[in-house]
Amino acid sequence: MLSADEVAKLVSEVTERVIMRVGSPSDDPAAGPPRTLGETLDETLWWEQERLREQDPNDEETLADKQFYADLHRQLQHANALEQRRLLQQIVHRYTHEIAGNFSPTVYKLAAKVAPPMLSALLTGLSPRRLFGREAIPRLDQHVIIEGEVDNLERLRERGTLVVTPTHSSNLDSLLIGFAVHELGLPPLTYGAGLSLFRNPIVGKFMHNLGAYTVDRRKRDPLYKQTLKAFASVSLEFGQDNLFFPGGSRSRSGAIERGLKKGLLGCSVSAYRNNLMRGKPNPDIYVVPCTISYPLVLEASTLIEDWLAEVGKSRYIIVDDEFSRWERWLDFLRGMFALDLKIHIRFGRAMDPFGNPVDAAGTSLDPKGRPISARGYFEVDGEVVEDPARDAEYTRELERRILAEFSRQNVIHPTHVLAFACFELLRRAQPEFDLYRLLSSIGAGRSEQSLALPEVEEEIELLLEELERRFAAGQIRLSSVVTEAITNDDVAVLLRAALRSFGTYHPKPVVERRGVRLHVCDAKLLFYYRNRLDGYALRDAPALASFTGPGGARHV
Amino acid sequence: MSDTRAAQVSVLGAGNWGTTIAHLIGQNGFTVKLWARKQELADEINQLRRNSRYISGLEGVQLSANIVATASLAEAVRGVPLVFIVIPSQAFRSVCEQLGELVEPSQLAVHATKGLELGTYKRMTEIMLEETCLRRIGVLSGPNIAREMIEGKPAGTVVASRFPRVIELARAHLKSRQLRVYANTDVVGVELGGTLKNIIAIAAGMATQMQLGENAKSLLITRGLSEVARLGVALGADPMTFSGLAGIGDLMVTCASPISRNHRVGAALARGMNLTEAINSLGMVAEGVKASKIAFELTNQLNIRSPLIHGVYRVVHEGLDPRAALSELMDAAVQDDIDPSLVRAANGSPPRGPHGG
Repeated sequence: MLSADEVAKLVSEVTERVIMRVGSPSDDPAAGPPRTLGETLDETLWWEQERLREQDPNDEETLADKQFYADLHRQLQHANALEQRRLLQQIVHRYTHEIAGNFSPTVYKLAAKVAPPMLSALLTGLSPRRLFGREAIPRLDQHVIIEGEVDNLERLRERGTLVVTPTHSSNLDSLLIGFAVHELGLPPLTYGAGLSLFRNPIVGKFMHNLGAYTVDRRKRDPLYKQTLKAFASVSLEFGQDNLFFPGGSRSRSGAIERGLKKGLLGCSVSAYRNNLMRGKPNPDIYVVPCTISYPLVLEASTLIEDWLAEVGKSRYIIVDDEFSRWERWLDFLRGMFALDLKIHIRFGRAMDPFGNPVDAAGTSLDPKGRPISARGYFEVDGEVVEDPARDAEYTRELERRILAEFSRQNVIHPTHVLAFACFELLRRAQPEFDLYRLLSSIGAGRSEQSLALPEVEEEIELLLEELERRFAAGQIRLSSVVTEAITNDDVAVLLRAALRSFGTYHPKPVVERRGVRLHVCDAKLLFYYRNRLDGYALRDAPALASFTGPGGARHV
Repeated sequence: MSDTRAAQVSVLGAGNWGTTIAHLIGQNGFTVKLWARKQELADEINQLRRNSRYISGLEGVQLSANIVATASLAEAVRGVPLVFIVIPSQAFRSVCEQLGELVEPSQLAVHATKGLELGTYKRMTEIMLEETCLRRIGVLSGPNIAREMIEGKPAGTVVASRFPRVIELARAHLKSRQLRVYANTDVVGVELGGTLKNIIAIAAGMATQMQLGENAKSLLITRGLSEVARLGVALGADPMTFSGLAGIGDLMVTCASPISRNHRVGAALARGMNLTEAINSLGMVAEGVKASKIAFELTNQLNIRSPLIHGVYRVVHEGLDPRAALSELMDAAVQDDIDPSLVRAANGSPPRGPHGG
């Protein structure tokens, strides 16, 4: 954690950096030609006033913002270059303060006193006796499996700065990573959390404990985004271990990320470069991909609805989902505990900012495992130099390698296997249907679709054979029940586990057994859970991408 | 010789094209290291300024005095900021394996090898990434007949890389009053253009031998390019690349020049030889023979319509009579002049198909 003094330094460094940038070409080739000072100010004014128009006019914050921009507008009319610079400084400073707002060390200390070790506290807080009645208070640590390449993290953290980059399915993710990091004996990670999380009735007051700073996704002003990016970079350069969800937002389709946000990811590259150029001690940045695999996802219904509603144009900011409703949390946790379900947090191999694996001592390795000096990638004639086009390319490669690691570290649960098998059978039965027609032909409130049990079992068996091969080749991970089903050649054990899970949390069972038939009661959720196995070319199934028209969907 | 100045560039591979590249760089006044597998060849280049194995019959042409040939790969590679790799595709991986022990992240590399790896379908830059720590890499390709370039005739070529510095540095060494060096960022397209055109060249060789006339040849080149571009786009290339020097440019020169190996293989097949006889008569394997097999498999896998490539494949690898192949092509259904998939790709929408979307 940063001291008050360091926070002040961070804020001024970010401000300075953003202001220096204005008027010079951006790292992001998509950003177009550089804007002048005046243009930047006009742009901010436009975006912010546009945003404020949609806010509650009686909200105090909105009123203050409106006042601020009205003043700005007035002053801008006759401002000379010098005054323009001063105004810009004001805006960036304001943005930075707002972002760092929840970073306040005093708040952190207070919260730390009131509720130490943050997540255990949160989770005991979440399962108060009055909610669980006479049931024993469950302990989350028994339901979260932390695994993978965790042994080196402590040492790497001492040698450099960590950037943990997990897959993102649920708002629980950041809490779980916080929990995992605590369990591993590491200090909290710095993390940009959406404003809605801070305002969430359930977890809002714990967010400070997670080392979170604020990201206001409603602010679409490019200057704000630049400030955010600078904030992440500077905090990395200050040696703050960071947590980014590189996919940007929760996967709507249920699939593993197919593309990452290059802006934020690029911070690892630029922070390392800046550290080297400034001769910082411990300049290394280590990117640690990580998967979080749930047998059931708290917000599954909302997410898949959003994906289907308008593929590619989803709402992006969802504030009113299961995550903010006590009873959904309770049902979810109840289900998890009653069925003894496990969430897997799996850390992958740590990489340098170029995507090369690093060994326990933090040394970068080439594709054949030979040690290399990674700083060379920045060098021209022995000097580390800036080159935005080059670094954008390194970021692309980093993205590719993180995605490959996600795919390898994805842990498959029985629910995914059953959903994939059922969906595949239904799809094959109606090859001429497009996705929407297929989904609406299954259930959708009218007729449920049923499948003969033996047929499903056979499909699962074939699927397991393929999964076993992929597991042996190190291409995917399997949860203990799936492994058990494969080792004992026992489809029944998997089927039972999946059906119980599907029957427990969601309002309607996703799939239900009636006699010798399986009934699909929620086609959308079936599709959602099926998607976790997308992209592995299993059973010759078409990829999710082929279901969507031109334009595609996020995370597809 | 100018050993006094440390070389800032090296060329790996002292074949026909590698030697030519080293010569061009040398003529521009740069000391350039040239790696030859055999010590005798290195000695011959250093002492006699000649490469009799690969470049012969050029009266009065002496290789540049700035070339320092060596048979030691380590000596050629260590500490050199820019490395050109000009190794035949079948030996490319094994040389890269050795290179992996020698290179460092600070080095830049450009390959000038046309072809894909058999079995894996991998491009040469993919092999470089798999075998070495090199990242700032690129490809050199274009309508470049080595012999003409050694003779000092004017030409243009393309350097493609995602890294501007790679293009800049390669261009600084290569450009001259004789050679224009164009830049491209589409590495995939430039690599594929240089590889797939060899298949069409085989067809051109057959057409020449069968005396089908110039109209037919133009038909063949144009439709051939369309097939090459379709497959290229499906593999991630930019369709516009195929209208550049590394696409149509390279295709034109290969189809026009009767001395090209692929052209000669096509002609031999049309004279009634089988593949083994054709290869024996040539003394070496033409790249298009391999490429037609790879392209045949890929187009089947990706479900891409390519009658011409399939025709060449069947003549080369299945012994189909070239005349039968021709009549099949002439009888096949006629499609749009400009393929819809290319129009889509040129308009910026992603290619459809099993891998697109």
